[in-house]
Amino acid sequence: MNNKHHMGLRTLNRVSNTAIYILLIVISIIWLIPFIFIVLQSFRVESTYQVGYVIPHQWGWQNYINLWNSDFKRWYLNTFIIALAAAVLVTVIQLCMSYTLSRFRFKLRGPLMRFMLILGMFPGMLTMIILYRVLSDLGLTQANAVPGLILVSVASSGMGYYVSKGFFDTIPKSLDEAARVDGATRAQVLYKIILPLSKPIVIYTILTAFMGPWGDYVFARYVAMGTSAGYNVAVGMYSWLTNDQIARMYTTFCAGGVIVAVPVTILFLCLQKYYVEGVTGGAVKG
Amino acid sequence: MASVKLTKVKKIYDNKVVAVHDFDLDIHDKEFVVFVGPSGCGKSTTLRMIAGLEDISEGTVEIDGEVVNDLQPKDRGIAMVFQNYALYPHMSVYDNIAFSLRLQKVPEDVVYERVTNAAEILGITEYLMRKPRALSGGQRQRVAIGRAMVRDSKVFLMDEPLSNLDAKLRNQMRAEIILLRQKLDTTFIYVTHDQTEAMTLGDRIVIMKDGYIMQVGTPTEVFEMPENLFVAEFIGAPKMNIIKTSLVREGDKYFVTPFGAKIPVTGEKGKKLLEKDVKSKDILLGVRPEHMVLGGDGQAAIGCTLVVNEMMGSEFHLHVDTADGTRLIVRVPTLDLDAAGRSALTAGQKLNVTFEGKAMHFFDPETEKNLLV
Amino acid sequence: MKQYSDLEYLRLSKGQKFTYKLGSFFAAIPRGIGHFFANIGKYIKNGVMGVGRELGDIGSTFVHGDWKTKTSFVVMGFGNLARGQILRGLLFLLFEAVFIIYMIFGGAHWLSMLPSLGKVGPSSEYNAILDTYTTVYNDNSFKILLYGVLTIFFIIAFIYTWRVNVKQNKIAEQILKSGKKLKADKDDLRSMVDENFHATLLALPMTGILVFTVLPIVFMILVAFTNYDGSHNGYSNNLFTWVGLNNFNTMLSWTGGTGGGQSYSATFGEILAWTLIWAFLATFTNYFLGMGVAMMINKKGIHLKKVWRTILVMTIAIPQFISLLYVSKMFARNGLINLSLMDLGWIKQPLPFWEDATWARVTVVLINIWIGIPHLMLITTGILMNIPADLYESARIDGANAWQQYRKITLPYMLFITGPYLLTSFTGNMNNFNVIYLLTGGAPTNPAASGAAGSVGYTDLLITWLFKITTGADSQYYLASVVGIMVFVVVAFISLVVYNVLPSIKNEEDYQ
Repeated sequence: MNNKHHMGLRTLNRVSNTAIYILLIVISIIWLIPFIFIVLQSFRVESTYQVGYVIPHQWGWQNYINLWNSDFKRWYLNTFIIALAAAVLVTVIQLCMSYTLSRFRFKLRGPLMRFMLILGMFPGMLTMIILYRVLSDLGLTQANAVPGLILVSVASSGMGYYVSKGFFDTIPKSLDEAARVDGATRAQVLYKIILPLSKPIVIYTILTAFMGPWGDYVFARYVAMGTSAGYNVAVGMYSWLTNDQIARMYTTFCAGGVIVAVPVTILFLCLQKYYVEGVTGGAVKG
Repeated sequence: MASVKLTKVKKIYDNKVVAVHDFDLDIHDKEFVVFVGPSGCGKSTTLRMIAGLEDISEGTVEIDGEVVNDLQPKDRGIAMVFQNYALYPHMSVYDNIAFSLRLQKVPEDVVYERVTNAAEILGITEYLMRKPRALSGGQRQRVAIGRAMVRDSKVFLMDEPLSNLDAKLRNQMRAEIILLRQKLDTTFIYVTHDQTEAMTLGDRIVIMKDGYIMQVGTPTEVFEMPENLFVAEFIGAPKMNIIKTSLVREGDKYFVTPFGAKIPVTGEKGKKLLEKDVKSKDILLGVRPEHMVLGGDGQAAIGCTLVVNEMMGSEFHLHVDTADGTRLIVRVPTLDLDAAGRSALTAGQKLNVTFEGKAMHFFDPETEKNLLV
Repeated sequence: MKQYSDLEYLRLSKGQKFTYKLGSFFAAIPRGIGHFFANIGKYIKNGVMGVGRELGDIGSTFVHGDWKTKTSFVVMGFGNLARGQILRGLLFLLFEAVFIIYMIFGGAHWLSMLPSLGKVGPSSEYNAILDTYTTVYNDNSFKILLYGVLTIFFIIAFIYTWRVNVKQNKIAEQILKSGKKLKADKDDLRSMVDENFHATLLALPMTGILVFTVLPIVFMILVAFTNYDGSHNGYSNNLFTWVGLNNFNTMLSWTGGTGGGQSYSATFGEILAWTLIWAFLATFTNYFLGMGVAMMINKKGIHLKKVWRTILVMTIAIPQFISLLYVSKMFARNGLINLSLMDLGWIKQPLPFWEDATWARVTVVLINIWIGIPHLMLITTGILMNIPADLYESARIDGANAWQQYRKITLPYMLFITGPYLLTSFTGNMNNFNVIYLLTGGAPTNPAASGAAGSVGYTDLLITWLFKITTGADSQYYLASVVGIMVFVVVAFISLVVYNVLPSIKNEEDYQ
């Protein structure tokens, strides 16, 4: 007790803060290092495979040139189209769903939410087999995988209403009521009152919907079924890391990773504020 | 400018909880009616059913003779002020007030005229360009009232509009609502849990408890002739003293015998008891603190010990215990006591209290109903 | 188990309190399950009674209805049309027409084939024009099952719509009798953006879910009762057909099974155990470490809060397949870590990150922490900042140190708010395909369980196993769907138990 007194509160605080700073610096390094490595390796030209050092001995653009000469352009375009379409359609569908479930108290609301909860307990992967067959009957697989993937990723997106519903739940209901007394229809309440107040969650939804397809691997692979023209970046680049390709394509993979990650990361950092608000406002309450 | 009629209105929630039981009420054109009661009594639910924000489980609500059960809120010709103001945070004060007019596609110059007019009346002209979050509680309240004012509504609904304000502002706004009412000259339905607001604002007061109406009447009626124990205790502050005692009839005279004293019933009350031919019986006797007086002699005096003395400025609230430990409150105007009398009022002091025979209320201990109603 | 009253409970020692709580938690499980089945019973009873009531109502509507109503029993929407509600009437009529046409030109056929899933398989026939044998495709089990289910959906929808049609007639008659007017088409249209706006909003999302989630799930559940696989694809090689509970028997039996000699039930058990351990570790390591990082960043007196946060948040933005694949290769036998450690001479042999079962499992959990912390840091930051500061102030005045403040205020508050999140995160981790598949692909292989149902590895979760089964050489879809159903059962069981214990889930409105 006495000892502590001598040390003083301020000193104690300074010691613990220093420890925290050290820890935070270590954490930052651990979290950033793989990404710095990817960037460095994407410029390495002396070997296309994994090596035991990080700084390239020979720098160059060769890996990016390889990228340009591969199917990567097509994959990138595919993914971009899917992401764009998903960003628009998924947002519309999820907002419709979550707003309704947050604001309306209709007879089937409870059963509907329970039903979707139960539905969500089935592994979604199970539906892949049949969806693939249906898509292939519609001619939307392999080279035509893009519209097929859009259709599938959009169609069931209503199930992911939790986060935005959580956000809508935080907007006081009395605003809706006041607007309805003021003469607004339910539709007017939505676009005159609620939507202007929901900018964070709208942007959050757009952002997550847009980012989703960039990392979508399993279903995209299933639908493309080995046809390179139908790949997205994840499927295409995964194929570079298979045992027979990795020795040739490892550094090209790194270059591809940079090309994929940089725009998405910049976009994300610009909209970070809204993402954070969306996560903290909605995610937990869902 | 409309009458509102509620017939056997009932609210049953999904979980079978009945929030409002068979609510019957006729509200006349231009009347100011206050629903008052403790929280959970169903007053807000009833108001929200009138507004159309809550489904009506049974019964009908009529506005101006038209059944509005199935109408949307916007089609009922009502305006409403909410407890937490419910201002649209993304709109300026001007846009908030103009919102309903714009929805009706009123021309912008008319909108301008009406909004500035309302702002003038409420004294918020200088804040018109601000967003609600830059306003104080009182200013927000004014905006909320302004928003309701600009519509030509038949009925003006207010759901605890003052409960989020501090005491001083509340008093000020209360006076302004009275002025507003004179200006608007329309039907008002006002919900509050505060009996002072109810007494000062209402032409008629509807006192509710657990979804039932306990009494409907003018402020004077509910104060002077509470129909039951609940109303008696709810209206008036500090609340009425309730004493378990007996009513004794001796010929044509009535007495009450609290704590061994014997106090005659006089005036109107005595006559009414006689008219009703009430027999001697156990009763709950109600006496308001302001009708209790210090002193009393002989049989009328009740011996007490002072426990707490609250100096309220214009009056003292004396909390006293009788010999059997019943706590009574006595309200004594400050001017009734000289300096010596005041300084004698310290805890532990023995004193006598009594009350006048004409200021008593008699309740049946079983039914808790007023014997004289 | 002894129940304590509140006051008795307060006098228990810490250890006793804990035992008591733990005891009541487990004591509550059978009760929860009991409630569940009691509820099922109640639902069935209510259902039967409801159907009875509906039938009675339909009968009385017919008996008491006027001729317009009676006609509507056959010609849907007739009552609406005759009473001036053109829009509603036409929609009913259209629906009936579509239904009848569909049933005649397909529905009836699919439905009749459903019990057998097709009789005639593909056959080789001589083609005189081409002078060669060509394959003629006949019945298609896949389509029969799919369209059969669809037809049943359609029939249910039709019955429901027909019922609505009848009810509307009854209501219309009542309204007219009481001297009021019916809603005009104009009112119906207007209500689509007002009192029935929810129906408008839900129409599109729900259709999507119905067609692309519900229908496939029903289909796949049914597949579990067939022998649908790569060699019975129901179309170009062999038809598939109903096999009853055979597949479940296979999965649950202790004998026979995967190539390595281990039975399916043993393989399933092993994978399930690892799936649960993984989900537990993944959820709680992320949760507590994420909270720790958030608390460090939020601590008073720490500068550059935004910088620390941005560094972590940035990693969320990078698509997982890049970071996971890259890190996976980094830890590979000939990856960056092993190579540089050997260059430095710290190790002689490469570390078996992905070759040894225990190494692989630990590495997967560690890398998942790397992936998960930023997200948890964000979530917990929001909640931490919402904890009222006066709670801490009063705790400090009461003499609580930092650890006690965390234990007594922060943690209970966090657990209460994030209870539902933890549950979804747990079940989400059970099905966390990406992390496992992109990192290890399930490796290292479990020799005892390798064989028929895909090659099973030590880091395989049920979900990755399911994927391997469907994409494996034999594409045993029926087995995949059995595994899928099992996953559902496990997830549902856990959710049910937790739901009955967590206070914060039960009352949704508490949050509003």
